[in-house]
Amino acid sequence: MSIEEQYRTRAKELLSGGAVKMVIGYGKGTTPSRRRPLFITSPDDVERLMLDDACITNLSGYLVSEGLLSDEKRVAVFLRPEGIRAVNILAAESQLDAEQIVIFGFDVSGNEVQALKGIHVEEFSDVIRSIKEGAPEADEEELFEKIEKMSPQERFSFWQEEFAKCIKCYACRQACPMCYCRRCIVDSNQPQWINTSSHSLGNFEWNIVRAFHLSGRCVECGNCDRACPVNIPLRLINHRMAEEVLGAFDHFAGMSKTQEPVLASFKKDDSETFIL
Amino acid sequence: MSEPFEPKIIAFVCTYCTYAGADLAGTSRLKYAPNVRIIRLPCTGRISPMFILKALQKGADGVLISGCHPGDCHFTHGNYHARRRWMVFRALLDFIGIPPERVKYSWISAAEGVKFAEFINTVTEDIRKLGPFEQYSQLIGQTEASASL
Repeated sequence: MSIEEQYRTRAKELLSGGAVKMVIGYGKGTTPSRRRPLFITSPDDVERLMLDDACITNLSGYLVSEGLLSDEKRVAVFLRPEGIRAVNILAAESQLDAEQIVIFGFDVSGNEVQALKGIHVEEFSDVIRSIKEGAPEADEEELFEKIEKMSPQERFSFWQEEFAKCIKCYACRQACPMCYCRRCIVDSNQPQWINTSSHSLGNFEWNIVRAFHLSGRCVECGNCDRACPVNIPLRLINHRMAEEVLGAFDHFAGMSKTQEPVLASFKKDDSETFIL
Repeated sequence: MSEPFEPKIIAFVCTYCTYAGADLAGTSRLKYAPNVRIIRLPCTGRISPMFILKALQKGADGVLISGCHPGDCHFTHGNYHARRRWMVFRALLDFIGIPPERVKYSWISAAEGVKFAEFINTVTEDIRKLGPFEQYSQLIGQTEASASL
């Protein structure tokens, strides 16, 4: 039996037994190579669930939709390892109760879809640990290294050119499972820290702040990057931040549901070589 | 005759240590560079990275941040939190292309009036050497020009 069928059967069991009230998975998209998030509440609909190498979106963001988990019922969700890490972070930041999340874990290597064993986030800790030990590289490693080698002026021009494309649609924010704030700093106008118009200044500030708020929290699922209509390589900035917190504080986002958020905790012997 | 470049520097300091240190420098009649505008905040933990960006946007050539030594925070651990935040923020600024030399950090206690005066002097000299930082504050003007096409 393929993983797709196994998971359909499991979804059917869970829904008909009332163990979960909803299954969040992938369904048919607008083109044959695309998948669209699918929300299923009836066991009759499980045949619409799909699972293949085109299932790339991180669905964990839907878990913090307003009111979804407030009735304390369980919700099942299809997640890749990054998604599982995201659930850990959301739980660590008290945005959800991990007990309410039933995970249909899977990973894709090449065209192969593999099932990940487990139901609750704790059971995937080995998978997450092996990702940390594998020291994930940026998706566009070449470009990343090129940027690292530039002089500050060159880097500034590089990003200025990239950010010039930004139209301030905030799709990156909407697609990100970590951007759950009811009121984003960019929407606050008293005081207005970030220029809302999409001129270079506003674009710079928005993208700097977005990356800063995600440092130590980003799981590099790539949702922002894919959502960006003008293809700004947002993932590179996030990757740089992930590298920094891993190097400086040995923090790998989403290791466990009790992990302390890196910027809300400290050690007395944190590095301070840059402080005069 | 062109006058030597006088950098504009904004200092965000905590009220319990560095501001008191600045006070001590003043009452001790220590002379230091007049290029620094001090903004007093309750704690270094209160310094949002937005403050730094705002200062650069409004035309600052450099930014100083200073507070109590680790362990001396009035709120026990505000400066520890701030230290982590700066560490990350520095890396971010660097990756975006804002030279980290423009943003300087220091611990200055209420008893270190001399250190305060020296810190201001060295930083002012360093920033003077780096020259004006218009890259960031000019971002707005650049787009306005292209929008009028």
